Amino acid sequence: MTSSSASRKAKIQAATPKSQQRKGANPVVVATVVVVVIVAAVVTAVILGSRDKEAATTAGGSSLPKGASAMGTGIVVNPGAPANVPTLDLYEDFQCPICAEFEHRFGEGITALAEKNQVKLVFHTLSFLDDNLRNDSSNRAANAAACAADQGKFLEYHTATFGGQPLKEGAGFTDAALKSFAEKVGITGAGLTTWQQCYDGRAHNQYVESVQTQSEKDGVHGTPTLKLNGKDVSLNGFTNESLDAAVKAATK
Amino acid sequence: MSGAVADVGVLARPRTRDVIGLLARLVLGAVILVAGLLKVGHLETSARAVRAYQLLPYDVAGYVGYALPILEVAVGVLLVLGLFTRGSALVGGVLMVVFIVGISSAWARGLSIDCGCFGKGGTIAAAQTQYPQEIARDVGLLLCAAWLVLRPRTALSLERFLFPDRHDQARIDPDPHHERPPA
Repeated sequence: MTSSSASRKAKIQAATPKSQQRKGANPVVVATVVVVVIVAAVVTAVILGSRDKEAATTAGGSSLPKGASAMGTGIVVNPGAPANVPTLDLYEDFQCPICAEFEHRFGEGITALAEKNQVKLVFHTLSFLDDNLRNDSSNRAANAAACAADQGKFLEYHTATFGGQPLKEGAGFTDAALKSFAEKVGITGAGLTTWQQCYDGRAHNQYVESVQTQSEKDGVHGTPTLKLNGKDVSLNGFTNESLDAAVKAATK
Repeated sequence: MSGAVADVGVLARPRTRDVIGLLARLVLGAVILVAGLLKVGHLETSARAVRAYQLLPYDVAGYVGYALPILEVAVGVLLVLGLFTRGSALVGGVLMVVFIVGISSAWARGLSIDCGCFGKGGTIAAAQTQYPQEIARDVGLLLCAAWLVLRPRTALSLERFLFPDRHDQARIDPDPHHERPPA
């Protein structure tokens, strides 16, 4: 019974012009279109993402700021530190509110460690928050700080920038604000002109991007991150005293 | 499910199952769609969230991060509309398995990261990690996907309107036991 009804259906279908056989759309055609569109969209996203990244990392100048020995490395605040003291790496994004809080609470203590050459203090200025916050302030601030480093004012500039961080996350830094931080830390006259040229030309932009890329390769996926001799320092219960103790323990 | 249970339970009614399927489809589809939309405008952040798992090489993780949001949007739209439900649910289910494996692995290795499921991602304070909740959510979504792969017929699906032929046939052959009209 089933087979006869099936064969009858087949005969009807055979007699019917193709265009009338289906009541709906052709699933194969629709599926093909959908799959092609999805694949095209995914490939486009990968190409666009890669191209944007490529464009960002090759924009601007390729010179290293003073204190950085190679692309991807941080800026050493006190290169004169003796070899037996541990290296303290600090990874921060100038738009990161917790970094500003961290600087506010512990910045002086950390600066003191560097001034007394008890650690070799290395700053990695990251810029990943730009994509999150849809602006370019972290990148510009990192460029500005690198230009300040050229004049031996990195640490001061870094402190001034965190001090001037807008209360609302994502408000970002204006060019004028970044310049005012330079003036505030004593970059004036010819020095300010040099700073401005360096900043306007993004002389260190490829360096700034390389630091961001290298930090991710080194497993830094958030800020602030502290590493003492390459090992993560937990910020849970962190105090200047706990840092001092860890530094003492790591000093040879 | 045994025949006896199927016959007495309300689940036996195809219509009920269609509605359950609809709910599974909407929940799975909406979550994946929203997750994709929140990330699709922040491709670099998405790439970084994938890199934070430290499972793939830097470049490969980046490509995955660029591709994932748009794939999620596509699968989410198909599920919400109810078009190619079985295939979309299969892709959604595979994504959930991958996410569960990734999150479990991050947890096991002692990483402190946000899963990056809905944007953000990256390292967070250890106290802020939510691995059990993230895994539980993805297991729930995986169950939705499994239901839809096993029984892709759902109420109010676009494919029913677009391909009535297929559904007429589907109504005749599979599993006559369950398709028996209620007494």
